[in-house]
Amino acid sequence: MTSLLLNGAATQVAAAPETRLSAALRDECGLTGTKVGCDAGDCGACTVLLDGAQVCACLVPLAQAEGRAVTTVEGLAATPQGAALQAAFHSHGAAQCGICTPGMLMAATELLAATPNPDEAQVQAALGGVLCRCTGYRAIIKAVLTLSTAAPPPPGAVGDSIPRLDGLPKLDGSERFGADDAPADALWLRPIRSPHAHARFSIGDASHLPARLLTAADIPGRNGFGIYPDIKDQAVFAEGLARYRGDCVAALVGERAAVEAVRWEDLPITWQELPPLTAATAPGAAPLHPRWPDNILTTGRLRSGETAPPAAHTAQGQWTTGFVEHAYIEPEAGWAERHGDTIHVHGCTQAPYMDRDEVAAVLGIPLDNVRIIPSACGGGFGGKLDVSFQPMVAVAAWLTGRPVRAVWSRGESLASSTKRHPASIHATAACDAAGRLTSFEFTADYDTGAYASWGPTVAGRVPVHCMGPYRVPYVRSQARAVLTNNPPSGAFRGFGVPQAAIAQEMLWDQLADATGLDRLEFRVLNALREGDTTNTGQHLRHSVGLVECLEALRPHWHTLRAQRRTTGRLRGGVGVACMWYGIGNTGMPNPSTMRLTLAPDGRLTFHNGAVDIGQGSTTVLAQIAAEALGLPVSALHMVLYDTALTADAGKTSASRQTFVSGRAAQAAGAALRGEILRRANAGPDARLTLSDGTLRVNNEPLRLDTTLEGTGSYDPPTVPLDADGQGIPYATYGFAAQLAALEVDLDLGTIHLQKIVAAHDVGRAINPLLVRGQVEGGIAQGIGLALMEEYLPGRTENLHDYLIPTIGDVPDIETILIEAREPLGPFGAKGIGEPALVPTAPAILSAIRDATGATLRRVPALPHRVLEAIRGH
Amino acid sequence: MTDIRYLAPPTLDEAVRAFAAAQGAARILAGGTDLLVQMRNGMVHPGTIIDIKKIPEMTSITEAADGSFWVGAAVSGAVLAEHPRFGKVWPGVLEAINLIGSTQVQGRASAGGNLCHGSPAADSVPAMVAAGAVLTIAGPNGRRTMPVEAFPVGPGRTSLAAGEILVGFTLPARPAGSGDAYLRMIPRTEMDIAVVGVGVSLTMAGGVVTAARVGLGAAAPTVLLVADAAKVLVGSKLDDAALNAAAAACSAACKPIDDKRGTIVYRTKVAAVLLKRAAAIAADRAQGRA
Ligand SMILES: Cc1cc2nc3c(=O)[nH]c(=O)nc-3n(C[C@H](O)[C@H](O)[C@H](O)COP(=O)(O)OP(=O)(O)OC[C@H]3O[C@@H](n4cnc5c(N)ncnc54)[C@H](O)[C@@H]3O)c2cc1C
Ligand code: FES
Ligand code: FES
Repeated sequence: MTSLLLNGAATQVAAAPETRLSAALRDECGLTGTKVGCDAGDCGACTVLLDGAQVCACLVPLAQAEGRAVTTVEGLAATPQGAALQAAFHSHGAAQCGICTPGMLMAATELLAATPNPDEAQVQAALGGVLCRCTGYRAIIKAVLTLSTAAPPPPGAVGDSIPRLDGLPKLDGSERFGADDAPADALWLRPIRSPHAHARFSIGDASHLPARLLTAADIPGRNGFGIYPDIKDQAVFAEGLARYRGDCVAALVGERAAVEAVRWEDLPITWQELPPLTAATAPGAAPLHPRWPDNILTTGRLRSGETAPPAAHTAQGQWTTGFVEHAYIEPEAGWAERHGDTIHVHGCTQAPYMDRDEVAAVLGIPLDNVRIIPSACGGGFGGKLDVSFQPMVAVAAWLTGRPVRAVWSRGESLASSTKRHPASIHATAACDAAGRLTSFEFTADYDTGAYASWGPTVAGRVPVHCMGPYRVPYVRSQARAVLTNNPPSGAFRGFGVPQAAIAQEMLWDQLADATGLDRLEFRVLNALREGDTTNTGQHLRHSVGLVECLEALRPHWHTLRAQRRTTGRLRGGVGVACMWYGIGNTGMPNPSTMRLTLAPDGRLTFHNGAVDIGQGSTTVLAQIAAEALGLPVSALHMVLYDTALTADAGKTSASRQTFVSGRAAQAAGAALRGEILRRANAGPDARLTLSDGTLRVNNEPLRLDTTLEGTGSYDPPTVPLDADGQGIPYATYGFAAQLAALEVDLDLGTIHLQKIVAAHDVGRAINPLLVRGQVEGGIAQGIGLALMEEYLPGRTENLHDYLIPTIGDVPDIETILIEAREPLGPFGAKGIGEPALVPTAPAILSAIRDATGATLRRVPALPHRVLEAIRGH
Repeated sequence: MTDIRYLAPPTLDEAVRAFAAAQGAARILAGGTDLLVQMRNGMVHPGTIIDIKKIPEMTSITEAADGSFWVGAAVSGAVLAEHPRFGKVWPGVLEAINLIGSTQVQGRASAGGNLCHGSPAADSVPAMVAAGAVLTIAGPNGRRTMPVEAFPVGPGRTSLAAGEILVGFTLPARPAGSGDAYLRMIPRTEMDIAVVGVGVSLTMAGGVVTAARVGLGAAAPTVLLVADAAKVLVGSKLDDAALNAAAAACSAACKPIDDKRGTIVYRTKVAAVLLKRAAAIAADRAQGRA
């Protein structure tokens, strides 16, 4: 028995003395506000105060807390600064998904107790041990610095920066993520994964184990899943052949202690290792899957222009990028429960309807017998679009009749989850003597790993995006997705486009120098404008705000360039890069449906099936629906994403929720408004109010005998691409340009970022606060891609070998929002989720080149690579 | 759920007895920032945990009349930072310990644990080597001392005999005109493992170096004392020739590995760069300029 003074109350905890404090708090005391992101001291999500000092609860044995004061996020509101800190986080948008928030709040509490008015450096030092993957940290810093000056929020019209509507539970520890709310009697499921990249295996008699070993033979329905309806190539439990390190071959199910006690040596599995295929060796080698005899999953192409105009300058180069991990701070977690012939699956996801379809097929039961109830999602970024635990816990609960839960460890999450595709790119570009682009040729192999996942999407998106948002008369592009024995590459913010943007923008820098043009002006000269036709043959009539973005950056460009150090050991550089990004699926339907109801008792409900993974769709869609309806956002009750309660809004990917679901929400609002006005016999400009359960139209109460309903659906108009990549792949595009200013240490090759200025054409910022949060978070991930992130299977399966940016790695970010209205979008809006990340890495590489003259050929630009590039230059 | 024995003896003698009695099945616990991670990974499965944080000798910092310091093996970086004098006398050692991990980790991690864990990249060790720290070790056969550089014998391996516990560090008295510094190179701004780390301690008189020690981390299977680098610094005014020679000696001492954090060529070059930079800081401190 250990005695703690827990959030001010004397508490006895009956757990073994070596139990981690984090586990004791969560499992014994029921305080799940303390999060576990790594169990190794690397992420800080478990930060609590021990006698007022911040500690990682996962590194403190319970016995060392004996007799001491432990403060968790649940006790924060009662601390001197606690409530003010929570309010500041709320109003600054410092919590997006919210999984890091308890740790951030506790670290900030320690700081503020000692230093009530800290400066930025002190905030960075104090919060440096807590990782956030969503916010880019800037809003968090601002919240801690401006604690007392939070202004009251605006009402919530379109264009208002209101705090997120689902934000409060993220601040007091009450939010329930995938690992937080399973029933106490749930069995545990522990996946057994291949330690080899490529191996045959056989599973012998498992009856000696203290837990049940589920294998492929136990799957009632189809033992396969995959993103595409016709590609279900990844088995829930592999059958005799493991195709990557992390491939799941079986799962132990039983009481937690029994499941955890099974040692690797106890498992009746024999392995026969096979030589693994890499992107270099796979094409033409013995097929990994019979379906793709040459190991080429797909090839995407684009041909535009018959002949290239005469050129004065050419530039060419080769670039390679590595695997990048999503590194959401919440590892995959959830649970399932059987109710008669129906299965309920709870947990973190970005795509509940796809989960439903997969679970139904794996169990061999009708879709209607599967209900997906998403928990809060502690970050996704594309990585929680593919199923992970869902089919496994569903099968286990189905067969045992008991609730079954699973929580991936960090190592397991890293090994098993999808990654950003590594790319190997060769590109050539040319321009005339005046600097006008004449041609662009691009070929790339994308390592799509062991299973298809989103590989076809990447091969589809890259050829149409790789020339960037520019006028190029002649383009030839090709991207292949190559199957290998690496982790499956899937969807990750930008679907292959960020890798391509590196090649494209680096070539522009070379051409600008060759023509003697300023690098920013070179981009202005060549930028797409309204009225232009893209290389897919799409006429862009509206909402092409790239030139405005570049013009907004121009004064910053000149100031930053003038300030940079050009002599000495630390050399300054400023880089610029642009991007465009098609919103929604590529040339494919991706509809969304939203619903609003008004009950006779005046209860107004917004039924919204779009999963908010921290990006803010719950808030933004409500703002849109309320505005279209003509009532304040505060009047809405919410029924959020649950496949039994909400209509299919499609998945949270491809930056599509604001644009596609937003249009559906706008239509739903307009439809309900129409119903109301018809009943009230009022004109289109009538004023609606709702108070005390009574709806008034132009101040006249409107009595209802039945529930009124407004449903809206939207599917963006696209035309599928033909074999030459011609068509209308997207209804609209986001545009952006970013500047990066940095210094390079010429002796060490280290990079110090000083400032990033980002100009983004978002059509219309429905909620500027949340848009800025997306931009800052995307930039932080772009910094990681450029400078430090590289997943190596077997070698970086934790968060101290796989490095993501900390609070000290993200410089001051200035965001400029350009609003070139998109007539198709809700109130003119487009999307922002992915665009924010795309230009950051090329802008950083452009700045390194500016500082040193060296062109990096491989990202991440680790110091030793930078130094090599400087030497070779 | 588990059958681990957890002991928190109040005296060193009891700890030594319990440790010996467990016959290799026990682990010492200081801050736990390495041990708990290893247990979680299944790399170690101790039958007994011996928590040394209740032993006064191992958790105390004392400055003796002669100016030497005793730092108990289990003292955390955060506690060391609060000592009114230690950071003034040994700023480089203190910096090195408080480069370990994050604020959360610094509140727990000890120099003793850092050393006993045996990582060639342990941040506090090159600074301790430069400082000329002497270890006190207690075991079933009594106490012994050894210079810190003799302690690590390979990655994860130390010269502790079975049943021995590291009790603490003695840092020698500081002559006037002394200063030390530690620098490491990491790709990320914080919370990262050193690609190379260099500790330098100097004593100077009239602008001339009269004594020097150099410790080098993450550049060989163990942290190294680079005597050749120190030798060329002594007697010099830290002019370019002397610094270049010391930097070359540092590079020559490197036997690094190629890994994801850095290549052999890179580590060898960085060792030289960091030597010069750390020496400059140590010299400023020795001469009261910083
Ligand atoms: C997030 C994170 C970041 C880190 N960053 C760094 C870093 O930047 N630089 C760095 O060098 N290290 C780093 N580390 C490693 C670690 O924090 C240090 O090695 C730390 O100094 C270990 O001290 P401790 O008191 O926590 O040791 P413990 O974990 O308690 O012990 C470490 C090992 O030494 C043994 N041991 C401890 N004390 C004694 C003793 N007195 N006698 C005999 N054996 C003993 C233990 O049995 C164990 O095997 C990091 C760790 C984490 C979790
Ligand atoms: S869970 Fe404790 S630091 Fe990550
Ligand atoms: S808000 Fe920080 S990790 Fe999501």
